[in-house]
Amino acid sequence: MNSVLFAIAVAIVGIALTLAQDAFPAQEFYHSWQYITLLTVAIIVMLTFGHSARIGKEGSGGKPLALAMIGALAVTIAGFVSALIGPDTVTVIGTPGTVTPIPDLRVAAFFEQATPATLADAHATITLRRRDGGPIEIGNTPVPFGLSVLSRSSRIAAYVEARDARGNHLTVTQPNNTSFLSPVLLFRSTQPIAGKLLPFDTFATPGVHRIVRALYLDSAALSEFNHGIKEGGSGVVLSITDDQAKPRGIAIARSGVPLLAGDLLLKITLGRYPTILISSAPSPYAVISGLIVFAGGLLWFAAAMRKRLAAMPASPLPVREERPSAPVASSVRDSS
Amino acid sequence: MRLSVVAGAIILILSGSACYSGGGPARNIDGNGGPGGLAGAPAVSYDVKRTDGTPDSLARYRGSVVVMNLWATWCPPCKEEMPALEKLYRANKKRGLVVIGIDQGEGAAQAAAFAREHGITFPILVDDQQQYASSYRSVGLPTTVIVDRSGHVVRGIDGAQTLAQFEAAVAPVLRAQ
Repeated sequence: MNSVLFAIAVAIVGIALTLAQDAFPAQEFYHSWQYITLLTVAIIVMLTFGHSARIGKEGSGGKPLALAMIGALAVTIAGFVSALIGPDTVTVIGTPGTVTPIPDLRVAAFFEQATPATLADAHATITLRRRDGGPIEIGNTPVPFGLSVLSRSSRIAAYVEARDARGNHLTVTQPNNTSFLSPVLLFRSTQPIAGKLLPFDTFATPGVHRIVRALYLDSAALSEFNHGIKEGGSGVVLSITDDQAKPRGIAIARSGVPLLAGDLLLKITLGRYPTILISSAPSPYAVISGLIVFAGGLLWFAAAMRKRLAAMPASPLPVREERPSAPVASSVRDSS
Repeated sequence: MRLSVVAGAIILILSGSACYSGGGPARNIDGNGGPGGLAGAPAVSYDVKRTDGTPDSLARYRGSVVVMNLWATWCPPCKEEMPALEKLYRANKKRGLVVIGIDQGEGAAQAAAFAREHGITFPILVDDQQQYASSYRSVGLPTTVIVDRSGHVVRGIDGAQTLAQFEAAVAPVLRAQ
């Protein structure tokens, strides 16, 4: 019986490890040798136990247990295949207001236009548009999509509002990025400083010939940069040059607080903007059918055990010692 | 039978080892691609204002063929292109063509002064949040988008165009019902 419980426990662990790929997607762990080894061990145990159950070595209830093992194997092998040969996680970064095609899934992702308020609240939405189906909003719950699972993540973002010294609104461009005319910085680059990789981006205000390099600092890095002054919250170090690369100023911008630097009146609103993570997932058909077979096998096994228990005498050993064997046999017949 | 189970397990481990990729760096899809890839897409519209403060948007011109020009006062090619757009508008407005110029990121006063200086008579809208340029994948200014009567993008064009190029681009759209 101990081997039965052990095999069922291993099957449940194998199933749970597989289902975790859907419930908690985009984890590096699923592509690690440790995860693969765990699933491999579970598969070997299930194969071995399932075979011995099928040929009757595990006593009565062998066939139901073999069936349950087949179901658990189907699920676990689906998880094993997904972890091994499924593609690595892909991050889809979209400029606010754009539609980004995702050819592998034959869908296009619409990234909602951002405002300072939606960035600060991290409320911007992403909607998937399909040719043959309705739109799907990627929210906080992972969305299974064929052999992939789509989940929402987010990255640091900054909304830039720029004016000249007279207060005229200025066009903001991002000459180094694919999103040339977006006022939203997504900090696609990093800058190594003092052993840390800090999010980095660049924008320009061609109307007044200024180029601004923006280095994002979280509250700890900002405090360090600011010689230990703890003001709380994150900020952006802005280094301003003209288009002849002549330095025009350096300043630390706090979210939503206007500042004048290098002849520019800047207001930087910090927040987060969503991205999509596409992770490999186990085949839903294998998982669902495997779970049904596993549950069916366990129910069959439970029914067989119940029947067997019901067929046993009420007080086994002491009664056997006092009475001869024939009456025991009759009591079995009576109870059935 | 036990032998076959063990053999299967060994094959599983070996094939797993062979396929194992060790994770690897994450791949990113960082999409834009420029305005040229927008053909056939529904034309996105945002509510903005004209230089005189009245509300306006691309969607208000549904039913007309629209030449939407994204520009800014600091952009030299935009200035060079404006006379061609004005001629295109005057020559074709009776045939159902609308030209709208949408200033990107600047204020109404700057855009109005520019329009007066260049004798622009077509509607000038002011998009100080640069929403149109973001959505229409501008990779520079000017960007021109031709929208058909049903509200779909026919063509997105990066860079300044001549009058002849504009006429060649809009002629088939104007002919289509």
